[in-house]
Amino acid sequence: MSDEHKKESAAAEKKAPLHGLLAEYETPWQLLEAAKKVRDAKYERWDTFTPFPIHGIERAMGIRMTALPWFVLAAGLTGLTTAILLQWWTNAVDYPWIVSGKPFWSIAANVPIMFELTVLFSGITTLVGMLMLNGLPLPSHPLDLKERFARATNDRFFLLIQASDPKFDEVRTRALLDETRPVVLDEVLEDRVTSDRMPRGIIYAIIVLATAGAIPLALAAKARFTKSRDTRLHIIQDMDAQPKYKAQRQNPVFADLRAHRPDVEGTVAVGELRDDDHFYTGKVNGDYARTFPSQVALTDATMERGRERFGIYCAPCHGLAGDGDGMIAKRAEYLASTGRGRGMGWVPPTNLNQDYLRQQPVGQLFESITNGVRNMPAYGPQISTEDRWAIVMYLRALQHKSAAK
Amino acid sequence: MTSKDKDRTPHSSSASPKGEGSESDVHVLGDEIRPGPAVSSLATKAAGVAVLGLGASVVLGMLENDGFRRFSYAYLTAYMWGLAIGLGALFWVTLQHLVNAKWSIVLRRVGEILAGTAPVLGVLALPIVIPAFLGHDILYPWANHDRVHADHLLHHKAPYLNPTFFLIRFVVYFAFFTLLGRFFLKQSLAQDKSGGVEIAKRMQRVAGPAMILFGLALTFCAIDLLMSLEPSWFSTIFGVYYFASCVLAANSCLALAAMWLHKQGRLTRSITVEHLHDLGKMMFAFTVFWAYIGFSQFMLIWYANVPEETFWYKERFAGDWATVSTALLVLHFVVPFFGMLSRHVKRHKKALAFWAFWSLAVVYLDMYWLVMPAFGAEGLPFGPIEIGALVGIAGAVMAAAAFGARKVKNLIPVKDPRLPASLAFENI
Ligand code: HEC
Repeated sequence: MSDEHKKESAAAEKKAPLHGLLAEYETPWQLLEAAKKVRDAKYERWDTFTPFPIHGIERAMGIRMTALPWFVLAAGLTGLTTAILLQWWTNAVDYPWIVSGKPFWSIAANVPIMFELTVLFSGITTLVGMLMLNGLPLPSHPLDLKERFARATNDRFFLLIQASDPKFDEVRTRALLDETRPVVLDEVLEDRVTSDRMPRGIIYAIIVLATAGAIPLALAAKARFTKSRDTRLHIIQDMDAQPKYKAQRQNPVFADLRAHRPDVEGTVAVGELRDDDHFYTGKVNGDYARTFPSQVALTDATMERGRERFGIYCAPCHGLAGDGDGMIAKRAEYLASTGRGRGMGWVPPTNLNQDYLRQQPVGQLFESITNGVRNMPAYGPQISTEDRWAIVMYLRALQHKSAAK
Repeated sequence: MTSKDKDRTPHSSSASPKGEGSESDVHVLGDEIRPGPAVSSLATKAAGVAVLGLGASVVLGMLENDGFRRFSYAYLTAYMWGLAIGLGALFWVTLQHLVNAKWSIVLRRVGEILAGTAPVLGVLALPIVIPAFLGHDILYPWANHDRVHADHLLHHKAPYLNPTFFLIRFVVYFAFFTLLGRFFLKQSLAQDKSGGVEIAKRMQRVAGPAMILFGLALTFCAIDLLMSLEPSWFSTIFGVYYFASCVLAANSCLALAAMWLHKQGRLTRSITVEHLHDLGKMMFAFTVFWAYIGFSQFMLIWYANVPEETFWYKERFAGDWATVSTALLVLHFVVPFFGMLSRHVKRHKKALAFWAFWSLAVVYLDMYWLVMPAFGAEGLPFGPIEIGALVGIAGAVMAAAAFGARKVKNLIPVKDPRLPASLAFENI
């Protein structure tokens, strides 16, 4: 005798009240026919149990469309709204911060989160809603005590009408089920054996897990509200601590304690010798040079190089022809004209085709590029010396061209 | 649940689901599965529409006196729309074999027939491909040798984007599409005669490698025909973007074809609302997928803000094109998303037909949005030339499919071993 069976008979002895009537069938077709009968007899609290899904059982049982899709739709829209509000609040209101030159709050950047939260809210609602609408989880059920019922997971098909159904009547319901010719028609008694209390083990497990889960939160809260002399917890090391000396740090090995060693007096690194004033500063004997240095060949190649570099480094402000109408200048003008540039200081880029610039010595143009001039920043650090001369050469050509017009 | 269980489960139709797919099964169904005269008359009518539409478009295009520029753009727009249907169907058929789908068996022949339009689509591409091959830059700037020479970037891309290689690739793509379509149709028809699992298995074996090659061919085909209209622009996701339209268009067409056959009194019992429901799900899914891919493409470009890439969107966000872009977002995603969300819509024939037409319309709008800005006209060029081209291409695809259907005996693969499962298919 199995445990279940013992329990079953024990329950019977205690005269447990009737839970319902259980009919057992050998084929899904019989079950479907029986289900239709029960449906048509307008029972409400009943169910069928099968080893595998049976197409058409919902219709045979008269199951109405679930309300779950509406919950999911509502949850999805809630997720969407939450995502929009969350991003609007954090990015545009609470902590405005320019990222990649984008507006504080731009829908395009928010779409991924909008999508994710919509899906997340919908997904969780689908799962939780499905469980709740099905009355799950259901830790125990009177049918668990029926030994025969185990075959519902193997090769038998069951139909249970609960005694709590308003239409339930022991005699008439039994007659109805008899008509469907089940192999077995059996009573199911209420479960008076299984305890209603949650098993201790589960309660303890929940307490332990909840406590453990609170530890990190507690630590974080403590760290926020207390002061400490210790450095922060450095959990993930990456390559933060490396046994080496960095520039601008101390190194006790040297008398001057500088980790960064200066060059020995009088040394010159390869390629760093700059003893040609004409070439490197654009000046000859302290005056701006009027000629190109000998290193700069007046060739098509130089001119082409100058054109290309000018296009990259100068045209955005000064325009492709040097007229002072580059993209940046246009944009600034546009912002100013539409009032969107309020509070913005702006010195327009000079028109490079003016007479005073045409007459400027090449050395001075070179100097303007190298060190910047008034509001224009220096381009020396970005553009190599040769390229700066090539730009000057091209600029001269542009000036000649505009003068010829 | 094993497939055996599924086959054994009862279903509401009168047919016994236990058979091995013998022809007698279909007779038990009492369904009309022959193409019949309606298909023949559709074939001739559609061919007539094709000739009229394309003819009108060509004549009007000639009157424009712009060296067929306007016509070429209108034609390309319509063509890419038609191609989406054919290639989408080919993908659909390959996919059903690849995943050993059971639900779709009753629709498979219709899919095979639609996929069989590939050779006709290949011929229809000639007005686009031949001028490019001959070095005319009516559509594609890279076809013109002088322009390539003058443009550093085009010069760089010339090893790929040049007329000869373009033609070679075109031939390769369409040879592949044609062969694959023919293979599936031929095998499927052979199965009608001999039955058996072996042929089904063979098609499944081919479907795997074919799917990989199809993905590559479709991607490059979209790059060549659409993306290279503005050859300095590039987007690595572009092939997938076009693919989304293909699948959407094909599933919409399958649904419409099934409903049309129902109207002709064909397959009324084999194709049920359950199958239509599934097609509706695919339409819905690929409406979302299209938006997902479209946005992925947009967001990366928007965020990186690199001029080489942004100009393409800038064109489309300026002037009247901004309206089209907004319309695309609303009509191709927001409206159909809510429209097709409910299962009741997908199970309601008229509603589903409405959304299928809608989807086909917005796929055209999408093609228009992809192609026309490169035409570079003031405003939005749309008139009889575009309509003629669209009607013509639609007629041509329909005619090709109907002529294909005329040649088959049965409109469902009567001896596929999975047919009973498909006939009995039900959505939970
Ligand atoms: C970021 C914008 C910007 C860029 C890039 C830029 N400039 Fe300028 N440039 C200016 C502005 C602004 C002025 C006027 C400064 C003022 O008057 O305060 C100016 C002035 C000048 C002048 C006039 C100097 C004078 O003596 O009046 C020259 C020459 C010139 N730039 C050359 C160049 C060249 C060559 C390049 C490329 C290497 C370049 N600029 C790149 C903004 C720019």
